[in-house]
Amino acid sequence: MKELKHENIVRLYDVIHTENKLTLVFEYMDNDLKKYMDSRIVGNNPQGLELSLVKYFQWQLLEGAAFCHENKILHRDLKPQNLLINNKGQLKLGDFGLARAFGIPVNTYSSEVVTLWYRAPDVLMGSRTYSTSIDMWSCGCILAEMVTGKPLFPGTNDEEQLKLIFEIMGTPNESSWAGISTLPKYNPNFPQRLPKDIRTILQPHAKEPLDDNLIDLLHGLLQLNPDMRLSAKQALHHPWFAEYYQRPQ
Amino acid sequence: MEAIDKAWNASSQYPSTSDLLSNAEENEISTIVLPSKFIKCSRTDLAILISRMLTFLIQINDSSSKSSDCDVSALTRFHSRIPPDISVFNYLIRLTKYSSLEHCVLLTAVYYIDLLSSVYPTFTLNSLTVHRFLLTATTVASKGLVDSFCTNTHYAKVGGVHCSELNLLECEFLKKINYRIIPRDENIDHCKLEKKHDIFSLQKGSDKDLINSLKIKNNFPENESSYNVLNTYYNKIVQLVGSFESSPDKSKVINYTLPYFIRNIHTEDIVDKPQLINIHPFKEAIQDVSGISRKRNLDATVVEDLDMVSDQNEKGYNDKTMDNETVDSESSVSKKHINQQRLPKISHRTEH
Repeated sequence: MKELKHENIVRLYDVIHTENKLTLVFEYMDNDLKKYMDSRIVGNNPQGLELSLVKYFQWQLLEGAAFCHENKILHRDLKPQNLLINNKGQLKLGDFGLARAFGIPVNTYSSEVVTLWYRAPDVLMGSRTYSTSIDMWSCGCILAEMVTGKPLFPGTNDEEQLKLIFEIMGTPNESSWAGISTLPKYNPNFPQRLPKDIRTILQPHAKEPLDDNLIDLLHGLLQLNPDMRLSAKQALHHPWFAEYYQRPQ
Repeated sequence: MEAIDKAWNASSQYPSTSDLLSNAEENEISTIVLPSKFIKCSRTDLAILISRMLTFLIQINDSSSKSSDCDVSALTRFHSRIPPDISVFNYLIRLTKYSSLEHCVLLTAVYYIDLLSSVYPTFTLNSLTVHRFLLTATTVASKGLVDSFCTNTHYAKVGGVHCSELNLLECEFLKKINYRIIPRDENIDHCKLEKKHDIFSLQKGSDKDLINSLKIKNNFPENESSYNVLNTYYNKIVQLVGSFESSPDKSKVINYTLPYFIRNIHTEDIVDKPQLINIHPFKEAIQDVSGISRKRNLDATVVEDLDMVSDQNEKGYNDKTMDNETVDSESSVSKKHINQQRLPKISHRTEH
């Protein structure tokens, strides 16, 4: 973690290790994304953030994720509570408690990672060979949540989580996702659903009209098949972010 | 790779060709062709190899430091008063078995010898430090690299020290290596730099010159850096102590080799499974280099993995803790293999 130095990752300054106490000294941040979104709720209706703000946060989230992945670290617990923000609108990845280095072959990759609502379908089905794509699914869920102000797939257990995902994204099969039937918890009797139009689902809760590029990016991040999911680098080059990467530096 | 290179240089002093020949004539030693990827190697074989490697290093270090025995400043937290009764081999097998150490954890422990000695020159691996070092290194590596690991209470029990001591050892180890626990190409160099300049971590911006001054030569694709560090250690260890004759640790009468050390071999037959080849390695190898590779030698038996081996192996795996307590039955071991005899308590305290 201490090697991860990036403006979109919370900096670890020091570790104070005594016999019975371990103190990690982190950079100070004002708030987290979850609290920030909650603070914007008017009455009982969750409300999405302005799209320009969503874009700025998502860009920073992807920058942070891309940096982790470049440095061979999986975060494995991306969610609004772990995205810290400060009063300047900067967003930084925090809580690397579940993070791990990848590239070292091990037999025990836990599938009990990532908070349920942000857990990728391959991991829900027991995949232990996941890689960076695990974080990208979370990034997709977070993007949708910022748009509407409420979590996209708020399941209460593993089965319900998969059901919620398939209801919106459609039920995958061998032809859409080669190798899916080899996953430990794959069930050929999953209720068959067709993909729904994600725009119709999100639009009623969004603050502004959702453009095609945003919807396309969401689709890229929320690919059921982990091999089809956009990488953080690819997502940063998505046309939705054109105004950032085309900006003269 | 320093520790290994050191052993490599010293290896010329070890058994002479005539010794090898006479030994080979007396004993028929079988040879195992190990998988080229360490993750597919059986953990027993890996533990045997690593134990040989450590014994090798200990031999070198013990003989070179005889004179400074009484030097109190050379003592570290890892020191025992006298060498513990349990052999390196038995201790390593014990840790591997009861703490379910993974392949990468075992190899990383060897890597940590280089890492720790490079920033903490007072530390050398010798017969007084090896046990505590192994316990600490495998504990740290398990926690750092693997998703399922045990508590320090468990590790300490298996290792035969009090939990509070393991906590101190772990803390000391992490501080010395500045929390750089991931085995990567540039890790040791970065760790040395941080130590030299007394900083917690290098800053990409302000320490750019420092980092660039390293002129890291990275021969590997970047995304496989960690994998290759450990695989390099694996290869070197097999090269160095794979043959029984060249190993000072005689716990297991067996030779190890890797597919590409053998010419003309049909590698597709042996990539995935370790195989046992019955040959007189040295006699034949000397007469005919390609002797080992003859296809007829490959009608082989697959070598068992740790759990099976330990059942056959009567003594040593689980009978000796360094303290006088036996290990919990939670470790899925049948009690009958545990030697019930209570061993005299081994002096295993540090000197300071």
